[in-house]
Amino acid sequence: MASTEPVARAVAEEVARWGAMRQTGVTLRYMMEFGARPTERNLLRSAQFLQRELPIRIARRALDLDTLPFGLSAKPAVLKVRDWYLDSFRDIRYFPEVRNRDDELAFTQMIKMVRVRHTNVVPTMALGVQQLKKDLGGTKAFPPGIDEIHQFLDRFYMSRIGIRMLIGQHVALHEPDPEPGVIGLISTKLSPMRLAQLASEDARAICMREYGSSPDVNIYGDPDFTFPYVTPHLHLMMFELVKNSLRAVQERYMNSDKHAPPVRIIVADGAEDVTIKISDEGGGIPRSGLSRIFTYLYSTAENPPDLDGHNGVTMAGYGYGIPISRLYARYFGGDLQIISMEGYGTDAYLHLSRLGDSEEPLH
Amino acid sequence: MASEPVARAVAEEVGRWGSMKQTGVSLRYMMEFGSRPTERNLLLSAQFLQKELPIRIARRALELDSLPFGLSSKPAILKVRDWYLDSFRDIRYFPEVRTRNDELAFTQMIKMIKVRHNNVVPTMALGVQQLKKDQFRTRKIPTGFDEIHEFLDRFYMSRIGIRMLIGQHVALHDPDPEPGVIGLINTELSPIQVAQAASEDARSICLREYGSAPDINIYGDPTFTFPYVSSHLHLMLFELVKNSLRAVQERYMNSDKDVPPVRIIVADGAEDVTIKVSDEGGGIPRSGLPRIFTYLYSTAKNPPEIDGPSEGVTMAGYGYGLPISRLYARYFGGDLQIISMEGYGRKTRPILEDKQD
Repeated sequence: MASTEPVARAVAEEVARWGAMRQTGVTLRYMMEFGARPTERNLLRSAQFLQRELPIRIARRALDLDTLPFGLSAKPAVLKVRDWYLDSFRDIRYFPEVRNRDDELAFTQMIKMVRVRHTNVVPTMALGVQQLKKDLGGTKAFPPGIDEIHQFLDRFYMSRIGIRMLIGQHVALHEPDPEPGVIGLISTKLSPMRLAQLASEDARAICMREYGSSPDVNIYGDPDFTFPYVTPHLHLMMFELVKNSLRAVQERYMNSDKHAPPVRIIVADGAEDVTIKISDEGGGIPRSGLSRIFTYLYSTAENPPDLDGHNGVTMAGYGYGIPISRLYARYFGGDLQIISMEGYGTDAYLHLSRLGDSEEPLH
Repeated sequence: MASEPVARAVAEEVGRWGSMKQTGVSLRYMMEFGSRPTERNLLLSAQFLQKELPIRIARRALELDSLPFGLSSKPAILKVRDWYLDSFRDIRYFPEVRTRNDELAFTQMIKMIKVRHNNVVPTMALGVQQLKKDQFRTRKIPTGFDEIHEFLDRFYMSRIGIRMLIGQHVALHDPDPEPGVIGLINTELSPIQVAQAASEDARSICLREYGSAPDINIYGDPTFTFPYVSSHLHLMLFELVKNSLRAVQERYMNSDKDVPPVRIIVADGAEDVTIKVSDEGGGIPRSGLPRIFTYLYSTAKNPPEIDGPSEGVTMAGYGYGLPISRLYARYFGGDLQIISMEGYGRKTRPILEDKQD
């Protein structure tokens, strides 16, 4: 675990050097076009690109983790995450230059393991933030400047989405027998209505499990419409939003004799965007509380879920569902907007860019 | 047509008053104060206005003189600035209000000021058009133009405030007010009723221009009321419904499909009253959304005539309906948000503050 002094210093220097280099963004369209021909030569080029790009992104985040305000950097959970980033940096930097097919296959295995190492980054960082909140007295009011942490977490998690996308896409291109229309992690003919059905079923199942019943979900739109997108991203976002809507309606109508109004999903396809609206009559959120639902410091849950438990999905997690869904939406140039009508219900609008020309947002 | 020294003296006064601190008034205060429109209270109100109005008017006159891109020297802008200067002089040179007769005369005077400024919005719009023609023959608008947009937001918001103060004071003199009404404020305003009235007005405009109009369905508690300025709410709802009708009409005019109705939903919460005006008119692309709130964008070919009927209503005016509706919403602490689903429809919501402190 502990490296010797001079080695530690050498690594620190490398991290600082690579962390200052410029990042290179990739568009969805480029990933699709490149991945459409997953030849040995192309996979080699991809590996060589990642061998240069990943350390830059990883080092940048390691540096960030070391310089957080309010002593967040010193929290045990955050130190754990930082060590993961340092280990991954070393793994990639000390991997010999990829030159042939064998190198490339070994490299791919290695970055696959890097991805596994970082699986629990989000709940671990969440724990770090909780540790900080407790130190700060656990009051509802945060000191000024706490915005800095929120902005850091936005950049940090967005970067994580990008790193995992690059790694995941490269690994997936090695699939010898891909499904038709699928290029790595990208489904070129994703049907948002079908995915909405799946996400709704998953969300309803969780609701049933926790409450014993669940409101209906009605889905409207063109069932034949498809567009290229990353299926797990869209599934995650819709699942989060439907889960929140079901919860709000359930809580509102649980002890009422009125029939729970269904959650409604509408899919609209425009020239620039695909827009998906998830709409509920769960009573809404007061305007004063709306900005808080996008912060990482707010949760309607009593306690964050167990870290070593199963990547536990509950109706109310550590409150990261909405801000992280928004990051996924923005990753390819889209957005997530939440509008609420206090006393009535909430509408969530997922805008997904159709054009695929949006470059990854890099900070 | 004032002489040099007089003009300079006025300019000095304007400079002085324009830097004094403004005093805001809340809806709640206006209601409480206006609920007892005694002679004494009206006198107090007039004395307050005699000090407050010149501050607000002078501030705007100064701004009008220092706009970027040469906007200040456009003929239409100079016209508006002269209105502000005249009104400033009228109030400043009015003798100190001390008695009931003073107060009545003062009220008449500020009533005339309000009339003088009736056409400020279209005149400013003309000034902006004049600037666009001169400077920006191409479609590209240079950076820094945002400054003009921010100025117009402040300017029009201030105008709403000035007209509210004057209008409220004048209305308190009504010897026989309707029950529940305090000046311009209806303490028991039913948003459903206003929505119905605004919808009828908007539909008749649509009928007049297109020969037909989509239906409008209104949902909410018909017994719910709250205190608000009915003319403000009417203006906002009218604008939003008009836009929705137009979008749906244009989209379905030459189609044989059933025309989807515009839907209005009124929700009453603890903090806010929220009204959603919802249509399936095809929506606006996300890239075009910020422009609908600027003063430099209009789907109309030409702005309507200035000397025509005030606030000349057509389906597409000079494109100020949305930004100005948002100002009205924000005036008492509310807001207006527009969300669009390109390819489906456009959902708009003015959010109105329920309790104002």
